[in-house]
Amino acid sequence: MASVSSDEWRAICDKFTNAQNLTVVDSQNDPDNDPFRSKYKARELLREIYCSLKSFEAGEGEEETGESGETVETGETGESGEQLPVEAPVDGQTEEAFSQGFCGDSPAGLRAAKLGAVEYYLGVNHVDTEELSAGQEHLMNCMKLLGKCRVSSENVSLFIHARNQLGILWAGRDETETAQGFLETAESIYQRYMKEDGSPPTDMADYFSTEENQLTHQERTKRFELAYTHTMYYLAQVYKNLGETERAAIYCHSTLQRQLKLNQFSPMEWALNAATLSQYYITKGRYMEGRHCLSAATVISGLAGEVPSEAAAQESETESERREQLRQKRAEIARCWIKYCLNILQDSKKLLEDSIGELDTDHTFDSIASLEEKVRCLLPMDFTEARAIFLVGQHYVTQAKEYFQMDGYVTDHIEILQDHSSLFRSLAFYEEDLDRRCKMHKRRVDMMEPVCMELNSKYYLMIRRQMMFELAETYNEMMDLKLTLANRQDETESLDNHTIKKFNNLCSASAKYFQMFLDSLCSPEGKQPEHLEEEVLRPALVARFRVARLYSRLICTSPPGQVENLDKSLEHYKYVVDYCDSHPEAVATVETELELSREMVGLLPLKINRIKAKIPANN
Amino acid sequence: MASVRVAVRVRPMNRREKDLTAKCIIKMEGNKTSITNLKIPDGNAGEVLRDRIKTFTYDFSYDSMDSKSSPFVSQEKVFKDLGSDVLRAAFEGYNACVFAYGQTGSGKSYTMMGNPGDAGLIPRFCEGLFTRIAATTRWDEASFRAEVSYLEIYNERVRDLLRRKSTQTYNLRVREHPKDGPYVEDLSKHLVQNYSDVEELMEAGNINRTTASTSMNDVSSRSHAIFTINFTQAKFDSEMPSETVSKIHLVDLAGSERADATGATGVRLKEGGNINKSLVTLGNVISALADMSQDGGNTNLKKKAVFVPYRDSVLTWLLKDSLGGNSKTIMIATVSPADVNYGETLSTLRYANRAKNIINKPTINEDCNVRLIRELRNEIARLKALLVQGNQIALLDSPTALSMEEKLHQNEARVLELTKEWTNKWNETQNILKEETLALRKEGIGVVLDSELPHLIGIDDDLLSTGIILYHLKEGQTYVGREDASTEQDIILHGLDLESEHCRFENQNGKVTLVPLGGAQCSVNGVQVTERSQLNQGAVILLGRTNMFRFNHPKEAAKLREKRKSGVLSTFSLSMTDLSTSCENLSTVMLYNPG
Repeated sequence: MASVSSDEWRAICDKFTNAQNLTVVDSQNDPDNDPFRSKYKARELLREIYCSLKSFEAGEGEEETGESGETVETGETGESGEQLPVEAPVDGQTEEAFSQGFCGDSPAGLRAAKLGAVEYYLGVNHVDTEELSAGQEHLMNCMKLLGKCRVSSENVSLFIHARNQLGILWAGRDETETAQGFLETAESIYQRYMKEDGSPPTDMADYFSTEENQLTHQERTKRFELAYTHTMYYLAQVYKNLGETERAAIYCHSTLQRQLKLNQFSPMEWALNAATLSQYYITKGRYMEGRHCLSAATVISGLAGEVPSEAAAQESETESERREQLRQKRAEIARCWIKYCLNILQDSKKLLEDSIGELDTDHTFDSIASLEEKVRCLLPMDFTEARAIFLVGQHYVTQAKEYFQMDGYVTDHIEILQDHSSLFRSLAFYEEDLDRRCKMHKRRVDMMEPVCMELNSKYYLMIRRQMMFELAETYNEMMDLKLTLANRQDETESLDNHTIKKFNNLCSASAKYFQMFLDSLCSPEGKQPEHLEEEVLRPALVARFRVARLYSRLICTSPPGQVENLDKSLEHYKYVVDYCDSHPEAVATVETELELSREMVGLLPLKINRIKAKIPANN
Repeated sequence: MASVRVAVRVRPMNRREKDLTAKCIIKMEGNKTSITNLKIPDGNAGEVLRDRIKTFTYDFSYDSMDSKSSPFVSQEKVFKDLGSDVLRAAFEGYNACVFAYGQTGSGKSYTMMGNPGDAGLIPRFCEGLFTRIAATTRWDEASFRAEVSYLEIYNERVRDLLRRKSTQTYNLRVREHPKDGPYVEDLSKHLVQNYSDVEELMEAGNINRTTASTSMNDVSSRSHAIFTINFTQAKFDSEMPSETVSKIHLVDLAGSERADATGATGVRLKEGGNINKSLVTLGNVISALADMSQDGGNTNLKKKAVFVPYRDSVLTWLLKDSLGGNSKTIMIATVSPADVNYGETLSTLRYANRAKNIINKPTINEDCNVRLIRELRNEIARLKALLVQGNQIALLDSPTALSMEEKLHQNEARVLELTKEWTNKWNETQNILKEETLALRKEGIGVVLDSELPHLIGIDDDLLSTGIILYHLKEGQTYVGREDASTEQDIILHGLDLESEHCRFENQNGKVTLVPLGGAQCSVNGVQVTERSQLNQGAVILLGRTNMFRFNHPKEAAKLREKRKSGVLSTFSLSMTDLSTSCENLSTVMLYNPG
């Protein structure tokens, strides 16, 4: 810019600094009813800079054609401020960007980069103020200018930034593939640049700062790397939107890793993100990755420091908020750990149940990793291994409940209780001593029963239903265990009275909770629903089926009592059959239960009659 | 009524759109709404046409474009379809929730509030409420109490819109009480007697709402607003005092075109293709990933339940009781008919299309009741046996009926035993494995050799023997004899009492028969056989005095296993004492079955 006087140049630099301040700092404090005030001001300054640059150019006799920052007007493109372009542009090739055009440090190259940078800032400004079409035009102008240049340390940062922005813009229009094109090009430009050059690139801010204000190499690198971190992050979202979750997870993972490496993260946020990512891995059965994320989450969350004391929290609002945040997020990380323990137990149980010997042994190669940690990522094979995982899970249950207390966090608290119960249920599977197994189920009942009774159905209906169902099943399980135990100890004779009483109590308790579940489906006036909603259809019919079964299992010595129980049983089987007959759409959801209920409806009267036949004889 | 219903309503062209000579791109037929992308040229069929015209189905599609045309849907009609059901539900004691969603200027306020003389959903709803209260009170059937509160959620912070000046209003805490449900701490409540009270409070609240002017929109709301009517009925129900409380939430969702400071529009409403710019939102993206993989895939498979911490959850949190089941929810999306708004309108339609899924429905997870089904099948089998034998004393499952499966059971235990031996000796197997019909797999620490063909496995007592012999019994005949036999033998054996031409196995249509030759010593399961005898899975065969084999028939075994799984065969070896008690109480007995 030889022809530009240093005063003129200084004026431009000042304007640019102002524009940046307005955009980044002042805009934060714009009033809610005029949220873009500062950005509109910044836009004016950028336009002035653009005009000045053009006029310098004219003075140099190098007329550029085709781009203009002035032609784009604001806010006329209809209510939504957006007119969809006819066709989406396709991004150019990485190869061309590295081999053709002006040298980055030639006067022409620098000029193009500077103009391009102003176009870039104008583009971002318009996008930020919800004027997408105008924003797009500016960004494409920037791309056009860059198209004349070869990638070099002077302009590579702008290459990446502009594509990041275009990626966002097109994604916003549901043109995900177009967005993907821009972002993937940015990715490959970064990689190629780092491979072939790698020197700290000029930041766009350096274009408009006087020599004494140039950024340090360290700062340049930091900004450049951050831009690329954003590219990773945007690609993660693009892949997510394209349904490529696996790839999206990898890019999220990279984003997290880069944040850590570049030391650009807030510990609690980062930790919670890592913990959340573990949940993704858990759903995929990748426990080693899941555990890695969780361990990292726990370690990094420690960097956030101590939780302020209650006293400190009462003193100041900030401390109070910090206390709340730290406690909540740590409790949430604990809940992620609980799910880890629970799922690993359940997965193993499922495999052991389905067929012994089809356990996935791939993970055995990860023995080194598993040695490092307190909790295993291999599926447990026996009680000892299962118990170790259970204890870790239980530890996190305690931790999570400290924050998510019943008073104030009903739903969360109960979800944690349900997890605790599930941990017990999973552990019970591995317990061979039936008496102890029974006691584990009793623990489940003890933790859920009082809570279930305390809750108001009005607000926690679904949670209560879940708990009723689980209680019913747990009692059923205990009943079966009691009977097995009794049969085992005393194989010769029939059950003693004490056992019968216990058995009947458990049987009735199970039936009671299934019935409670069924009652919860009734209208507020207590009317049976004629039509069962999809989400309760199967549970409702299964509950009927199971109540029917339970009534027929009650042990009763008097024949009239037996008849009474069997009549009730029959009535519930009948309900299942009748409901399916009048609602054919229900059949598919309860095929087996329906088939059996039909049989029982046919056969139970026979049994009832046989017993009845004995009654007069006994009288 | 179904618990969630979704409606879309299109308004007439406004002045601005007419000035721009905008074209109408919305068409409604029945409950379907179609939108045309005029940028894609007309006249093509197939793929292109699908891109040009997109059609969505809702519970209701309301065409209110032209008040003079016949399909025009009036405020009255909208209320009749949607409002009156909600009203009835509220009196029955359900919670109710009405969501409105749509771009600014799409007619949301008109639908919800209406104009003077052309009242919208909310005034009609309130009028209905108070009319019914008045009627019921007149008959002295019940007494009522209605309280309202009004809040907004802006940047995940809750603010009381009906605040009295002195009290603290920002960042109220949302909490849950076991008995009273979700509530906002310190939120003011205001008693109302009639609709004009409600109207007044609503207007007062609206003035306090966070609004913003941009160069695009004059005034647009950037927050979610929830107007709640708490409605208590007290009456005597068969001499007992009873109190029913219903909450009615009227929710105005922040428009889709705006994002709050964290880049999220709240309630996980905004899906679509948007990219969040700021790394601050990384958590949302990861949460969505975990969510997707949690919900995705085969719905028949039990989902893996994980914990996904949400960052933008205040609205969902607060409406838990409305979104969680025992409530009636209506969602109304409003759109403009003009092509200039194509992008926004499409995103609104897509959103409304997904709206039902947003309602978070916790599901009941059942334990699998395989065991119960098995037990019941047994009982049915016994009852059927009873039926067959009329009223005679029933011979329940006889031991002979059980023997088949029992044997299979025992045999399988023996296979396990055998495989253990095999693991020590498996060098030989590599050769055998080259045959196609054989497969080797690991089972726990054991190794299982699978073969599809019927075969014999050598069992020998020779402590020095280290190999395992498996003879395939191919379709057709397999001859067994000594090396010195006059004809070539398929299986060559030697040992005490083994004849030069000892016997043959015939495999025909999957049935395998042992045919002893010339009085040679053959026994099956310890019983000497002299005639042809058909072999069953697991039979132990002795040829001569020392050559012992186990006969395996994989296909037959597979069938038996299948039967056992489906419970047609009872796998419970019921003891006789048990069976006798079963006569009295058929169902009380069950034996422990691990797993």
